[in-house]
Amino acid sequence: MDPASARYTIRINGHLGATVLSAFPALASRRHGAHTLLTGVLDRSALYGVLTEIEALGLDLLELRQLAPQRESAESGDSRSP
Amino acid sequence: MGTRRLIARDDLLATLDRAVASKVTIISAPAGSGKTSLLRTWADRPGQGHRLAVMQVQRDRQDAQQFWLVLLSAVRLASGTTSGAGPPAATPEFNGRAMVDRVLSELEDQRGRVILMIDDLHELTSPEALDQLTRLLTNLPPNAHAVLATRHDVRLRLHRLRLAGELAEIRAADLRFTERETRELLDASGIELSEAGVALLRQRTEGWVAGLRLAVISLADHPDPEQFVAEFSGSDRTVAEYLVAEMLERQPDEVLQLLLRTSLLDRVNGELADLLTGRPGSERILLALEDANAFVVSLDSERTWFRYHHLFADLLRLELRRRLPKQVPALHRQAAEWFVQHGQAADAIRHTQAAGDWADAARLLADYSFSLTMDGQEQTVRALLQAFPRGADYPELALIRAGYNLAGGRLDEAAAHLVVAEAYAETAPPDRQRRLRVAIASLKLALAARRGHLAGVTEQARFLDSPVTGQSDEDISLSNDLQAVALMTLGTAEASAGLADAERHLQEGAILARKIGRPYLEVRCLAQVGFASRIRPFATTRRRCQEAIALAEQHGWGAEWYMAPTLITLAGTMVWTGEFDEGGRWLQRTLQALQADTGADIMLLVHIVSGMLQACRGRSHEALQEFSEAQYLGSQLEGSHALASQVTGWMLATQARLGMPGEARASLAELADERASSGEIHDARAVICLAEGDPAGALGAVQDVLDGTAPVVGYGTVVEAQLLAGLAHRQLGDQRAANQAAERALALAEPDRLILPFVMTGSRELLEALPRHQTAHAALLADILDVLHGSSPKADDQSPPHDAEELSPGELRVLRYLPTNLSRPEIAGELSVSRNTVSTHIRNIYAKLQVCDRSSAVQRARELRLLGGRPQALARRSPDRGDV
Repeated sequence: MDPASARYTIRINGHLGATVLSAFPALASRRHGAHTLLTGVLDRSALYGVLTEIEALGLDLLELRQLAPQRESAESGDSRSP
Repeated sequence: MGTRRLIARDDLLATLDRAVASKVTIISAPAGSGKTSLLRTWADRPGQGHRLAVMQVQRDRQDAQQFWLVLLSAVRLASGTTSGAGPPAATPEFNGRAMVDRVLSELEDQRGRVILMIDDLHELTSPEALDQLTRLLTNLPPNAHAVLATRHDVRLRLHRLRLAGELAEIRAADLRFTERETRELLDASGIELSEAGVALLRQRTEGWVAGLRLAVISLADHPDPEQFVAEFSGSDRTVAEYLVAEMLERQPDEVLQLLLRTSLLDRVNGELADLLTGRPGSERILLALEDANAFVVSLDSERTWFRYHHLFADLLRLELRRRLPKQVPALHRQAAEWFVQHGQAADAIRHTQAAGDWADAARLLADYSFSLTMDGQEQTVRALLQAFPRGADYPELALIRAGYNLAGGRLDEAAAHLVVAEAYAETAPPDRQRRLRVAIASLKLALAARRGHLAGVTEQARFLDSPVTGQSDEDISLSNDLQAVALMTLGTAEASAGLADAERHLQEGAILARKIGRPYLEVRCLAQVGFASRIRPFATTRRRCQEAIALAEQHGWGAEWYMAPTLITLAGTMVWTGEFDEGGRWLQRTLQALQADTGADIMLLVHIVSGMLQACRGRSHEALQEFSEAQYLGSQLEGSHALASQVTGWMLATQARLGMPGEARASLAELADERASSGEIHDARAVICLAEGDPAGALGAVQDVLDGTAPVVGYGTVVEAQLLAGLAHRQLGDQRAANQAAERALALAEPDRLILPFVMTGSRELLEALPRHQTAHAALLADILDVLHGSSPKADDQSPPHDAEELSPGELRVLRYLPTNLSRPEIAGELSVSRNTVSTHIRNIYAKLQVCDRSSAVQRARELRLLGGRPQALARRSPDRGDV
C-alpha cells in the first residue's frame, strides 16, 4: 500500500442512489440514518478527486474523517481515482 | 432567446446592484445555486448605464492564453470595436503580463462604466492565469468593475481590495430561494400547489435553485403536484439524483437517448447529436429543451451550439455509463471522428483517448501538436500527453517529446527523441511521412541553432523549399502549418549564419503564414526579414522593419524577444540617417525586448548601434566601450560575422580619436591579413594617420577603398573614406581636392541620405568650407550641418521635457497618427477602437498640448518629442506601461 494512502470515511447527507454511487467506484457505501457513509483507502490525489466529484454532483458533504491505521487486510484496497 | 422563465429576484438583484458599486464582486456558491441565472437576469435588465463584457470559462480551461483571448474578445465586443480588427490572434509565446496590460488599456479606452463578468471561474485551472487575473482585478481603471461567479473560492489574492472595502461577496445563503420566491417560480410555470406544498418543497430543497428548477420540470406536467411533493419530501435520496431520475423518467425515449448519448460532450450541436443518437431531428429537441429551461443552454446567438448545466451533465454521464456501458467507447469514437473532420483537434484527441484507442490518439496528437501549439494550446497538448497510460510507449509521441526537451534546453534528450521520431517516420505512409520529415527537419534545425552548429544543417533542410501537397484540406492545412514553421526556422538560422537564402525563405514563410492565417508566424518571419536584409537600401530595410513592428503591435507583441532583431535594425537605420533621438528610442525598445538568452549576433548589433549613437553624441569613451564589447562578442561567434571588420575599424578609429593612436596601431598590427585589407580597416588606418598628424599617410590608407579594390561591408565605408581623404587634403592645404572629396561623399550619401559618416568623421569644418553653389546636394548638406550643429553632447536624451500635462497611453497611441493623413474614422480602424474614442482622445490631446488644431498639435508634439522625427503609420504602445 502507498505509504501516503489512508482509510477515509466520508459522510454525505441523504441516500445516494446507484447512479451517483457509480461516481465512486473505489469506495464502499452504507446507509447510516439519513446519511450515506463512503469508506475506502485513498491517496492524496484520489481523495481530492473524490471531493471534486462530490462538489460537481452537488452533494452535501457533512464530514470527512481519516481512520486510524488498522492491521487488517485491504478489502477495498484499490486506491485509484474514480 | 427562447421563452426563458427566469423569475425576477428583486431582492437579490438589489444586493448585486449594491455589490457592483465595489471594484470586484465575487459570487461564490455551489453547483446549481443559480449564479448564472442571476448574472443573466441582472445583465438583461433594460436601461443599464454601463457596458457589459461577458465571458464564461470553458470546462477545465488549462491554457492561460485561451482564457485571455476570450476575455479580450468580450471586452472588445462590449466596446463595439470588433469589426475590422478580427479576433485576437494566438501565439505559442504567450506573454501574460503584456496581455493584462492590453486588456487594461482597452478597458481604460472604453467610454463610461464597463462591467466585466466572468462566469464559471472555478473552471480556470491555470495558476498563471489566476495570477494574471489577480493583477487585472487589482489594477482595474476607475470606470471598470468585475463580477466573478465560481463554485468555490478561487485562489485570487485580493486582500488589498478586501481591506479597502472594494470587494463584495455574495454567497450560497444569499442565493437560496425564499418561500415567496419559490411561490413566484411555481406561479410563473403555471403550477398550482398549496401553501403547505410550497413550504415542503422549499424545505426539502433547502431553497437550492437547481433542485427547485428540476422539480418544476417534473411538476409542470404532473397530474398530482401535491403527491409529487409529498413523495419527494418523504424520500431520503439526495435532491439532485432524485429529481433528475424523476425528470428523465418523464421524457420521451428520443429525448432521453439524446440526453444520455450526448452527455459525454462538453458542447453539442444538432448535427453531432444526430450522429450520436443515430436519428435526425436533434436540433429541434435541443431548442425545445432550452425553451423549457431544462438545463440546456445555447452558447451562441444563432442557437446552434448548446451545453448542459454542469451538474446535470455529470449526472447524465453517470447514468449513461450505467445504462449503456458497452456503447460508451463507440460514442467517443463517433464524436472523435466528427471533431477530426471539423478540425477540432483537441476534442478529437480527448475522445479518442476516452475510447481507449491509444495508438490512434498518439498519431493524432503527433499530427496536430504543432498546430495546437500555434493555436496557443500548449498546456492542452501537455495535458493530453500526460493522459497516455504510463509505461506504454508510442513512437509517434517522440516528436512532441523532442520539441519539449528542446524548449526546456535539454538538448541531448531532444536529440535522442529525434532519432526515435526519424525511425518512426520511415514506417509512416507517404503523405504523413512528408509531414513528419518537415517537422523533424524543423526541430533539427532549431536544435543545431541552439548548439551553434549550423554549418551543413541548412543544406539538409533544402527540401523544405518544395511546395506542400496533400490529400484533403485537413492534410494541406496541417502541412502548411509545418511548412511555415520550417521556413521560419530555416530562414532564421540562415540569417544568423549570414546566408543569402535567408531573406527569400523568410519572405516565403511570411507569405505562407499570412495565407493560412498565422499572424504569429508571419510576425516571426518578418521580424527576421529586416535583419536579414540589413545591407539593402536603408529605406527598404526601414520600411520592412516598420511593417513587421506594426503587425506585431497590432497583436500586442511589439516587445516580445523575437522582435529584437527588427527593433535593433530599425534603430541602426535611424542612426545611419542622423535621427539620433528616434534611434535612441528604438534602441531602448530593443533593450526591453532582450532576454537572458538573446543570441550573440543580436547583442553584437545592440552594442554596435549603441556605439554609433555614443560616438555621434560626442561620448567617445562610451563609444569605445560599446565597440570593444561588440568586438569581444564577435570573437565568440562561430566563424567570422558580416560586421566584424566594421566593429574593429570603428573601435580602432575611436581609440585614435581619443588620443591613443599608439594603442590603435598596436591592435592594427595584430590583425590577420584578411581583415587588415578590408575597407573598414583602411579607414581606421587613415583616422590613426590623421591623429598622428600624417595626412599623406591617411590618403595612402584610403586609396584602395576609393578605387574600389578593398572589400567593404557597405558603401558607408566609402563615404567615410571620401571624407577622411577630404580631411587629409584640408590638412595638406589642398582646399580644391578637399571640396571634391566632400562633394563625392555627398553624392554617394544622397540616395539613402546617410548622415552618420559625416558625424563620426567629424567633418563639420570640411562641409562648412564647401561653397553652397559648388554642390549639387545643398539640401542634404543643410540637413547634415543641422545635425552636426545639434550633435553636441546632451544631458539625457531619454527624458523629453514635460511642461505639458502628461498624455495617457491611449492618447499617445492616437497622437502617433496625427502626422499622417488618416481621418478620424481611419485612425479608429487602425487602432481597433471606436470613432468616439478617437475623438475624445483628440480633444484631450488638444487640451493638454494647449493647441486648437491638428497641425499645431503635431508641431507641439514634435517640440515635446512625443513623436518621432517623421510621420509614420505606426501605433506605438508606450513601452513603459509594464509596471502598472
